[in-house]
Amino acid sequence: MMMPPDNNTVILTRDLKKDYELGAETVHALRGVDMKIDKNEFVAIMGPSGSGKSTLLNLIGCLDTPSSGHYWLGGEEVSQLDDNDLARIRNRQIGFVFQTFNLLPRTTALHNVELPLIYAGLPAKLRHERAKGALEAVGLADRITHHPNELSGGERQRVAMARALVNQPSLLLADEPTGNLDSATSREIMEILVSLHDRGETILLVTHERDIAAYSDRLITLRDGVIETDQRHTIGEPVA
Amino acid sequence: MKILDAVLLALRTVWAQKLKSFFTLLGVIVGVTFLISVFAVVEGMNRYVQDDFAGSIFGINTITIERVWSGRGGRQDAETRRRQSRNPDITTTDAAALREEIPDIWYMSYSTERFMPEVRSGQNKRKNVRLIGVTDEYLALQGWEVVDGRGLTRIDDVRAIRVAVIGDAIAEKLFPDESPIGRDIRLGPFRYRVVGVLELQGGLIGIIRDAAVVVPWGAFQADFSRRRNVVRGIQVKFRTEEAMAAGEAVAEETLRARHRLRPGQENDFDIETASEVLDAWNTIKNVLLAAGPGLVAVALVVGGIVIMNIMLMSVLERTREIGIRKALGARRIDITRQFLAESATLSTVGAAIGVAIGTALAKLVDIAFPLPASVPVYAIVMGVALGLMVGIVFGVYPALRASRLDPIVALRYE
Repeated sequence: MMMPPDNNTVILTRDLKKDYELGAETVHALRGVDMKIDKNEFVAIMGPSGSGKSTLLNLIGCLDTPSSGHYWLGGEEVSQLDDNDLARIRNRQIGFVFQTFNLLPRTTALHNVELPLIYAGLPAKLRHERAKGALEAVGLADRITHHPNELSGGERQRVAMARALVNQPSLLLADEPTGNLDSATSREIMEILVSLHDRGETILLVTHERDIAAYSDRLITLRDGVIETDQRHTIGEPVA
Repeated sequence: MKILDAVLLALRTVWAQKLKSFFTLLGVIVGVTFLISVFAVVEGMNRYVQDDFAGSIFGINTITIERVWSGRGGRQDAETRRRQSRNPDITTTDAAALREEIPDIWYMSYSTERFMPEVRSGQNKRKNVRLIGVTDEYLALQGWEVVDGRGLTRIDDVRAIRVAVIGDAIAEKLFPDESPIGRDIRLGPFRYRVVGVLELQGGLIGIIRDAAVVVPWGAFQADFSRRRNVVRGIQVKFRTEEAMAAGEAVAEETLRARHRLRPGQENDFDIETASEVLDAWNTIKNVLLAAGPGLVAVALVVGGIVIMNIMLMSVLERTREIGIRKALGARRIDITRQFLAESATLSTVGAAIGVAIGTALAKLVDIAFPLPASVPVYAIVMGVALGLMVGIVFGVYPALRASRLDPIVALRYE
């Protein structure tokens, strides 16, 4: 039995494995990942397709459970939780930022940001205040009643970031957050991530672009379901 | 997520897609409209038959004894008509005998009537008048209220005084600007003094009372009757249904004895009660109330299946939304509740529309026809409750499907 992680650890995994049954064949998507991410780290994960990147992200994001191994998130072992508890963890501990933004199209920016608070059971008035505050923090105070289709790509991603942060999660999970944006907007979004990191957020970024990964302060590469390299570097320094 | 949030979310979705929602709800709307209409008409007919029709024409707990005459009952063969024409008249002596024999009489009267082409007062006249000669208890027995002046008394009858109580329509026509009490009216060559005016009845059958001139039996006999002591009908009113049933049996026995009918021989007179009419109506009502729910149920089930289909499509269309919600922390129960609230809200909105249309239809019937159609409150409650139920029952399956979606798969869904 593993020792639970100390207070400063956000993510701790031990021999994390995930197998998929694909017909008669068993695919070993993750073959044993050991990883430790501390508070206020800004980690980028890279790897070719098929390396187990998405599988790892799903496990870290509590959208899926591992076939074997252990995973502690914020001091709580979450690898064996049931559906409802996983939903609670996603709601309280994790903020998602997706490549395709994943905003609800028929509702306002404000309502989109309110969603995690609705599932957290907050009363309407408090929800409003906090969602407004989160939108102001990403510079969208004048866009709160706009629908997603009235916003630019960069603005949409900022709404998504406000939504990810509104419940004050312990981990921000960004999955190719700049994949659908032009380079100027990408820079803008990455700078927001950097400033969030400066403010103390813990960020896990999945990307396949080296210059995006360069914004992080630690790079983990995956290959064939295991960690290939794991190195710290200075922010802005080109990664190998 | 709280229920209220789910309902608000559902209303927003319904409103965002108004036309689609309407077609989705057609089945439920039709079902509830039908339900409300049937109940409104049945309720209206019920009141009409019980209060107005049976109540005014036949009277409650009242029997009417009449001679069987050939004009009635539609087509009859020549033999029957001949036999009926030999039936004896009903007379005042029969009435006296019945009063002796029948127990527990509340009111009893006899009457004869004839059609008058017109009644006049000075230059004013009213055509097509029903002139009724009655004994003193007739008005009370019929429940005809005298709102102005007085009714008819035994003295009027016995002394054959030429006084009259007139219907509201006649009073309006002959004395538009003044009280008719104490004024004279002319019936053929005779002058009658108006002593009372009847309360307005109005409506379809009100014409029977409102266009009537009621005079004492004695005066009617003297002035208008060709055949002495022959009555058109004897009316007996009882306090209870049981007393009426007993009285009806005694009346039949008494008249059979007086008419010297042998056992097995058919009655040569008629005893009518309101219960015959009520029986006929009850049969119709039972058919309506039995067939109604069946049709409503079919419409609601069809409506429910349509809602289920639309909800399944909606779940498919919104797979990604469900994925997003789950990623943001929605539990299965939250998603189930969201979609259940949506289908329940959807069908309840449909039911509300159905109630509105049904009520409007009932109102229309009420205005266009003399039928007093009215929507009973329990029908509205039932309609809305049924709508809600349909939404919940047929929403369970799509809602469960939505809640069981794998968030990873749902998030990747295009």
